[in-house]
Amino acid sequence: MQYRQVQTIGGFNTAVRGLATDCQGLLYAAGDSEIKVFDTAGRLRRQWATARPGHSVGVADDGSVYAGEEGQIEIFDAAGKPLRAWRNTGMLGRVTAIGFVKDSVLAADTADRSIRRFDRDGVFLNKIGKDNPVNGFLIPNGVLDFAVDAHGMIHAANPGKHRVERYSPDGALLGHIGKFDGNDPAGFTGCCNPTNIAVSDRIYVTEKAVPRAKAYDFNGKLLAVIASDVFDANVKNMSIAAGLNGRVYVVDTVKLAILAFEPVAA
Amino acid sequence: MSNVTRRDLFRGTVLAAMGGGALFLARKANGQVVWQVDASRCINSRLGEAGVEACNLCTTECVVALSAVRAVNEYSRCGRCNICPAYFNITSAVNELGQPSEKLCPRDAIVRKPIGKVDPEDPANNFYEYVIDESKCDGCGKCVMKCKEPLGLGSIVLRVRHDRCVNCNRCAISEKCPKDALRQLPVGQALG
Repeated sequence: MQYRQVQTIGGFNTAVRGLATDCQGLLYAAGDSEIKVFDTAGRLRRQWATARPGHSVGVADDGSVYAGEEGQIEIFDAAGKPLRAWRNTGMLGRVTAIGFVKDSVLAADTADRSIRRFDRDGVFLNKIGKDNPVNGFLIPNGVLDFAVDAHGMIHAANPGKHRVERYSPDGALLGHIGKFDGNDPAGFTGCCNPTNIAVSDRIYVTEKAVPRAKAYDFNGKLLAVIASDVFDANVKNMSIAAGLNGRVYVVDTVKLAILAFEPVAA
Repeated sequence: MSNVTRRDLFRGTVLAAMGGGALFLARKANGQVVWQVDASRCINSRLGEAGVEACNLCTTECVVALSAVRAVNEYSRCGRCNICPAYFNITSAVNELGQPSEKLCPRDAIVRKPIGKVDPEDPANNFYEYVIDESKCDGCGKCVMKCKEPLGLGSIVLRVRHDRCVNCNRCAISEKCPKDALRQLPVGQALG
């Protein structure tokens, strides 16, 4: 399986960190203390300011947009109108990923090295990934990323272990894929990879040094190296999102651009 | 002026000489300079130079045995990773523990040990401390290059060890350093 680059989306001035897509294929990007929304042609459809620099973004089933920041999550309607904010520096140290499972909201808190689960009113329910000998995920890169599959299972990148771990919403570790390997592209190399993750009908991850985006099946079999040499060599923490029809979006945090890839028909 | 006696002039001259001497000594103490590696200039640690070979001029040029420059792990920045690219040769074959089978340091100068609550069943489930044995290190910079971001976290840097450095007026390393990373700093501003 091969991918080709089909698009480059620029226009960011200082940072582009979190990515998310909605059911219509719109792309949401957190960066420059804004949420920017792009259509499938890469055109900027709308943008609005966030109170603090955004580290992540998530789009709920009802179209509301959640922006993960330092110490808080801001919630907007689909047009960018502020609805409410959850402020809690103890529970939301730095929110680098947001996801949704049924009636709950998941937030990755890098300060606690865990994923926290809340109800839709922001009431804390439970932690995920904290109950282990190292007291959380191993995230030397300073970013904790996860994605939720169609069955409501949580797939979290645990870069210090060179694994993608699978959890139930109540925090039970169900299994993992991936292992260290400095030569085989099926493995994860360096000190701490993969750094970022997205899930649709397969698992997509990004790595740093050497930067690359890859696709796996749910059993951990490498399906494709989506791209590698197109990224700046010094890039890391490249957010990734899955769009419609197999499209994959990857952030180059050095070039301040989003690169879109699509599978090439056999 | 007419009231100034020869004794006054003599006294003033002596006080001026004493003051000047004290000032000279103080200046000398304050002006004592030592050599130091500027990590933001050193090719092994400066950001933005990914994929280049480590520079070992600190090893080959220094007049001190092994070199007065040694690698130092700044623990506040260390990730305590299971697979440390500065400790392991990460492109070597993977062993039965899921780790690279070779070490990176040609002098085996880095000591690795698990810390905290240790899980003996799963090596990936632990934190590790990496201590540099400075009696073995010759400042070759290989570990520094591999620890540099984005591959690592940049916690290992090269430092001039002042208990070893003989403080040459013209440091032999600085004469050759392509990045002019060896700098003289006042004692009070130098790192240990």
